[in-house]
Amino acid sequence: MRQIAESIKDRFLKLGVDVPMEDIEERLDELITKFKVPDNEAQRSVVNYFLKKYSIPKNEFYVRQAEPQLSKIADISENGQWANLNAKVIQLWENNHESISQVGLLGDETGIIKFTKWQHAELPDLEEGESYLFRSVVTGEYNDRFQVQLNRNSSAEKLSEPVEVQGGDFTPGPRESELRNIVDLEGDNQWVTVRGKVVQLWENSHESIEQTGLIGDETGVVKFTNWASSELSDMEEGKSYLLKNVVVSEWNGRAQIQLNKGSSIEELDEDIEVGTSTFTYSGAMVDIQTGSGLIKRCPECKRALAKGACAEHGKVRGEYDLRIKAVLDSGTSTQDALINREITEELVGISLDEAIAMAADALDPGVVLDRLKQELIGKYYTASGPKLDRYLLVESIALKDSLDSELLEAMLAELEVE
Amino acid sequence: MAAFFREVARRVFAQELKDSNLTFRDESDQYAPQYLLTPTGAKVNRIFLVGTLIEKEDIGTDSEYWRGRISDPTGSFLVYAGQYQPEGAQFLSECELPAFVAVVGKTSTYTTDDGNVFTSIRPESIQQVDELTRDLWVLETAKDTLNRIKDLEAGEDPNAKLAKEHYATDAAFYRSVVKKTLESLKENV
Repeated sequence: MRQIAESIKDRFLKLGVDVPMEDIEERLDELITKFKVPDNEAQRSVVNYFLKKYSIPKNEFYVRQAEPQLSKIADISENGQWANLNAKVIQLWENNHESISQVGLLGDETGIIKFTKWQHAELPDLEEGESYLFRSVVTGEYNDRFQVQLNRNSSAEKLSEPVEVQGGDFTPGPRESELRNIVDLEGDNQWVTVRGKVVQLWENSHESIEQTGLIGDETGVVKFTNWASSELSDMEEGKSYLLKNVVVSEWNGRAQIQLNKGSSIEELDEDIEVGTSTFTYSGAMVDIQTGSGLIKRCPECKRALAKGACAEHGKVRGEYDLRIKAVLDSGTSTQDALINREITEELVGISLDEAIAMAADALDPGVVLDRLKQELIGKYYTASGPKLDRYLLVESIALKDSLDSELLEAMLAELEVE
Repeated sequence: MAAFFREVARRVFAQELKDSNLTFRDESDQYAPQYLLTPTGAKVNRIFLVGTLIEKEDIGTDSEYWRGRISDPTGSFLVYAGQYQPEGAQFLSECELPAFVAVVGKTSTYTTDDGNVFTSIRPESIQQVDELTRDLWVLETAKDTLNRIKDLEAGEDPNAKLAKEHYATDAAFYRSVVKKTLESLKENV
């Protein structure tokens, strides 16, 4: 007990406080002897008591207590642990959250990890490229990835010697996101790498968006958004790129990708062929949905108008178009299909002009829809084309024109046997 | 995804639909879709059928309420269309008999005082089609029914199990129904 008391006294002396030995011993004795408290618990309790009494901040005491046990980033594998790290600030990210003071990436020779410095930590700002000794950071896990948080009990001490970061300054080797096929993109807030060709760039009037459009690879097409804050260069329509570390998000059940400050764009020499994987679906057409037939589109963005107004551009003079949103049904599944003007004209045998005339005659564009339903619903079709989220974008569609007599014979033969 | 999904339109012969009397909902919510489980284990909310419209009658008293009888190789379906099925009602009021028609609709059941269950269809759409479409439907429905019978015998699919439990389904009987429809098709080809 004497030993414990001495060590406590020593440590307080280092902080410039001379605690009377009798006081320490008395408190320790009471706890250990009278109240059967284990030695280490008693020691902690006594220390805390004197810290409070002399108004010494806890972290000051514990930090000075011994050289911290240093962890390596790659070793962080548990949630809610305290850790001390020597690490370099590799990147600072844009941060919009008022309770967060800084967010970005730290690296050491073993790996890279995300950090969050909370506003209430009241720590000085970290500088990109500088190395620090981080004390008492808390490890956490989010989406299967570890991160560290700097809170009120943490400290950051600038190091004069830079910390070596594995794989140079920013090519986070093992933590680099996986290259994925576009058709396989799913889930919320996954980091992935995608290679594809810019199929379409959309007009965009939003100042926080740099570019938005569609990018596709052999397996499919996906919407992308390049935020202005990413400070990445523009992409050109028709060129192929490798997009590293982009975020997949989901909106209305469809995947899209976003490029932010952590992403990179690399132009590729090859010309990626887009969406060659076409789907074929056979079934009866069981429904033609509203928004089909003779519709008007916004001359600016080509979106279908609702009651003469575009969701983006307000009241506009619409342009006529003909299209079908059909539902095909095989008896075991259903498939939504979009049929454009050209194919609609061919399938139903009325041109856009005729459709406009029909509507004008009847003073009702609904007659065109009725006509489509009459012609198409209840019949069997085989449609094929690329798939864009839940829609099959029909490139060809054919009415089934003969009975599969082989199937008939095979089934009869099977029933005959039994 | 718990979001909206469209009910698949099942293919069931008239004979089998007539034999069905087990309705249930997956959730207790009154707005949850109601299903009719058929003897071979088809879980039907929406149905698609093609057959011959052989009778129609306006049985409404105040407003039009049309009943149509549509036959397939095994029996007939009853379709009822009133003010809430305007497209179906309009078609039935205007069409000529007989005609090949394709119906997309929802099944509904009616239980009489003595416990008999009648099945009928509220059409979302009725359209006139050609004979080939009707044959395609018969072949497809035969194929789907046969697949269900196999599932019934395998006894793994939960719908099949439930159907077997409730109806003590005689698979051989429905096989013979399927066979009859296929033979009728073959005569035509």
